[in-house]
Amino acid sequence: MFSISQDFAPPFKLIAPFFILGSLFYLASVAYIYFISAQNISMLDTKILGFVHLFLLGFIMMTIFGAMAQLVPVVLEVGHFGVELFYAIWPLLSVGTLMMAFGFFGYPMLLPFGGVVVLISMMIFILEIFLTIKKVKKFNLVMKSILISNTFLFFGIIVGLVMALGYSGLIDIDINALLKSHVFLIVVGYITITIMGLSVVLLPMFGLSHGFSTKPLEKAIAAACLAIFLVVLSTFTKIALLEYLGYISAIIGLFMYYYFVQTIYKTRARKEIDIYAKSLIFSYFSLIASLVFGAAYMVFGFEPLLLSSGWMMFFGFFSFAVTGHVYKIIPFLVWFERFSPLVGKQKVPMLADMLPKKSSSAQFIFCAVGVVVVAVAILLQNDALIKAGASFLFVGVLAFVRSVFYMINYK
Amino acid sequence: MYSKDELFLAISTVIDPEVGFNLVEMGLIYDASCDDEGNAHVRMTLSTKACPMHQLIQQWVKEAVQKMANIKSVEIELVWEPEWNITMAQEHVKKALSRG
Repeated sequence: MFSISQDFAPPFKLIAPFFILGSLFYLASVAYIYFISAQNISMLDTKILGFVHLFLLGFIMMTIFGAMAQLVPVVLEVGHFGVELFYAIWPLLSVGTLMMAFGFFGYPMLLPFGGVVVLISMMIFILEIFLTIKKVKKFNLVMKSILISNTFLFFGIIVGLVMALGYSGLIDIDINALLKSHVFLIVVGYITITIMGLSVVLLPMFGLSHGFSTKPLEKAIAAACLAIFLVVLSTFTKIALLEYLGYISAIIGLFMYYYFVQTIYKTRARKEIDIYAKSLIFSYFSLIASLVFGAAYMVFGFEPLLLSSGWMMFFGFFSFAVTGHVYKIIPFLVWFERFSPLVGKQKVPMLADMLPKKSSSAQFIFCAVGVVVVAVAILLQNDALIKAGASFLFVGVLAFVRSVFYMINYK
Repeated sequence: MYSKDELFLAISTVIDPEVGFNLVEMGLIYDASCDDEGNAHVRMTLSTKACPMHQLIQQWVKEAVQKMANIKSVEIELVWEPEWNITMAQEHVKKALSRG
């Protein structure tokens, strides 16, 4: 009899809080949109900053960290260094995120404390990932991408903490100059490169794709790294040309990444358009929309274009990439824990049986409509349309929360 | 003791819960043999190296063969050459997967 190690599927009780809290933070961040007025949408508005941190830290990072507890050993092909460390990450990240959100909302003294708590949770995560990577003997593209993305995360949160100290008035720094570096290090450096790297494993695994080249992905990651380097350099040298070259490099890298994803999509054997495939198709559609808006902003300088680009990147590309994978990861973990011991003894469900068809479809439709409506509302600077889009999103995310609980409680 | 077909029939009870097909019709079992003493050997692959269920799937294959009468031992050889692709699956699997 083989002894089945937990290396490739950590205990579900360890990962479940990440998905539950992630979905609740997603709901909270969508509810936050009702408090945002079209007139004061700006990258430097503290309400917007609170909203973005609630969404990115509470939902995107929380869910990615939970997913990484399961995915890291799968993609690195080694067991975790200390998977128990993940028990400390979600409480710290939750508390830190709430403190930062309230800090931006009107209590700036909370910012450095919230920032430190978030920093501690992320340092635990980074430490665990680095020590796990240390066990890898032969590096491939996906392993390199995880190493790169976590290095950027390390520097990104240090810059973020310095900014939090500046916002609270404890130190005197040029926050605006650091903001672009912080955004690029975290959003492009960590979130985007993590998604890029995991794509090479997850998309072919679920689509049964074979025979595609990874060259476009290598170039895409190199372009993203160059973009981050140029933007960070421009922060310290104040050379605007470097910053623009950084933006162009990021756009080129993301287009290359899109081309890579298309080659995987074309070579897939599994053509079924299930909730996973639908979510990813919308996610990549949003990525292209975000890049087009971003490129248009560079030409026309109209700020709503930049804000719409960021919106499509966050709530379109990131959100749907994350929710799509949640529909794969939670059923697998629940199945592994509850049903795998019963194989051969009694009838067990297939992974697809564990998906709530109606609520996952409702989530997809309402969130997709909401994302598009809010993107248009930002471009038109129309307050009523923002609230309408937020309503679609709220219903959609409620359905997502319901789906998460349904999958977790599947018996 | 058992022919390749008999062993494949036993292994065909093992279903991949992600795609819903058994390992034999997926083309993941490359070869199987059993000597007169009841020592079985199965050469198989997986659809991806990153499969998080790789240990479980090997265990299920082992248990499926062990259920056959007079089997003394089962050795699973997991190989990556030739690399699996959809052309190795049976026709009805290819058709079912290619339906949108």
